[in-house]
Amino acid sequence: MAKIVVLGAGISGHVAASHLRRKLPKEHQVMVVSPNSNYQWIPSNIWVGIGRMKSKQILFPLAPLYKKKHIGFKQAKAVTFHPEGDVTENKPYVLVEGVVGDSKGKQEKVTYDYLINATGPKLNFEATEGLIPGTNSTYSVCTYTHADHAWEGLSALIADMKKGKKAKILIGTGHAKATCQGAAFEYILNVEQELRRHKVRDMAEVTWISNEYQLGDFGMDGMLLSYGDMTMKSHEMVEMIFEDRDIKWILGAGVQKIENGIAHYENLDGEKKSETYDFAMLIPSFSGHGFKAFDKNNKDITDKLFKGFMIVDANYSPKPYEEWSVQDWPETYQNPSYKNIFAPGIAFAPPHSISKPRKSKNGTEIFPAPPRTGMPSGITAKLVADNIIDTIKSGKEQLHHKGSMGNMGAACIASAGFGMTSGSGVSITTYPIVPDYEKYPKTQGRQLGKTFGEIGLAGHWLKLALHYAFIYKAKMKPFWWLIPE
Amino acid sequence: MTQRISKYQRLKMMNPILQFFRFIYLSIKILIVVAGGHGGTRNIKSSTSSS
Repeated sequence: MAKIVVLGAGISGHVAASHLRRKLPKEHQVMVVSPNSNYQWIPSNIWVGIGRMKSKQILFPLAPLYKKKHIGFKQAKAVTFHPEGDVTENKPYVLVEGVVGDSKGKQEKVTYDYLINATGPKLNFEATEGLIPGTNSTYSVCTYTHADHAWEGLSALIADMKKGKKAKILIGTGHAKATCQGAAFEYILNVEQELRRHKVRDMAEVTWISNEYQLGDFGMDGMLLSYGDMTMKSHEMVEMIFEDRDIKWILGAGVQKIENGIAHYENLDGEKKSETYDFAMLIPSFSGHGFKAFDKNNKDITDKLFKGFMIVDANYSPKPYEEWSVQDWPETYQNPSYKNIFAPGIAFAPPHSISKPRKSKNGTEIFPAPPRTGMPSGITAKLVADNIIDTIKSGKEQLHHKGSMGNMGAACIASAGFGMTSGSGVSITTYPIVPDYEKYPKTQGRQLGKTFGEIGLAGHWLKLALHYAFIYKAKMKPFWWLIPE
Repeated sequence: MTQRISKYQRLKMMNPILQFFRFIYLSIKILIVVAGGHGGTRNIKSSTSSS
């Protein structure tokens, strides 16, 4: 009998646990450890943040589902990793701490045969002074509670605008090395559409602020894409959308400090500037959770497991940007020191950024960190689960399932406004996610045709269809596994 | 404000009948890109497989 422990119940952790349970006989134990009681479909937070969806529409409680499906569930947070056990415990374990009820604050050892670390990122708001969701007129849409607060702030501002107040709205990234520009891009377009719907668009100045060097970088160094009969660069497409919607933009901006209604930032020219606002939604930087790891004798071995995020089968040797290769990116998400530990989704340490690193004249690094959205998170979680299943069934290590972000496509269906007949979406697919300049030297590392963009009402329907499909899948309803990650 | 998307383009983008066919087309195209398989990059001949 094998025991597989999954840390985290986000997209990655939940996908891994679901596939493990479906494919493994019942004598093997699957256990999920997560501090969250609910599963949330994060891509729909955008619509919660504009008041067009309630948070209860994008979440469901995990405990009843896991009980029904015979998946163990512990509502707790990981504290330390002990991949060799310790002097009293022979098996590897994770020390976890309960977060609710009688077990709150109580620590226990959760042993495992295989460990999937799907803890995702820490939303590192502290890295930017004053960036606290719900204070200083700044908000976030990173969680459903943050999105609820954002809608409270936005709806109050819309009410003020209806009374004649002129307002400045600032949306983008809240740190020099933040990622997830796609979420901010969706939010700014949705907010702009809502302002028009409430007939207050002319009362607002809407501005995009981002650490990207060019619009449409999205942490992926931008892309050359097919758009209708044309081939255009992603920055040209985003520029077209922003100009058409009268959205201003500030680029190469590393936000360093937030005061009530003022965002202070440094740009790539080294200038220290500030931008005032009445409402801001700024995505924080992501970081690892700061976990520690110890060997059997309680010696600190954190550097064997973590490099901020978890170390996996990537090439982490430092080298100049010109020497970066698609082969540096991991394929199996297995920790090289402890072969029974895996880190899919956002939990693994990327070997380097995808966007070209840039520094301001003062030496401040200002460029997006690599994005790892829902789709690659789900795909990498499933391949990790499949390798563990094959290993358990065959009795020897099997790593046949591979999925490098350099040989994987992703779709980003960015909502550009909500409404069955008035909505819009910007559908972008990218193949591969990490550009392969050797394979596609003439098209900026990506395959044209499979990398394309499209704007229109169909994009909104598609995003809405994905919302319902993926919540159906996450609830493990009949034939859920037929829906691809 | 600069009108970068013409009225005709906008009409096409928001026409429910045209967009219904775009929805079907996009769904299939995205499925091909995303579910079309993935693999490694270090030994492409032996490792390309979908999981």
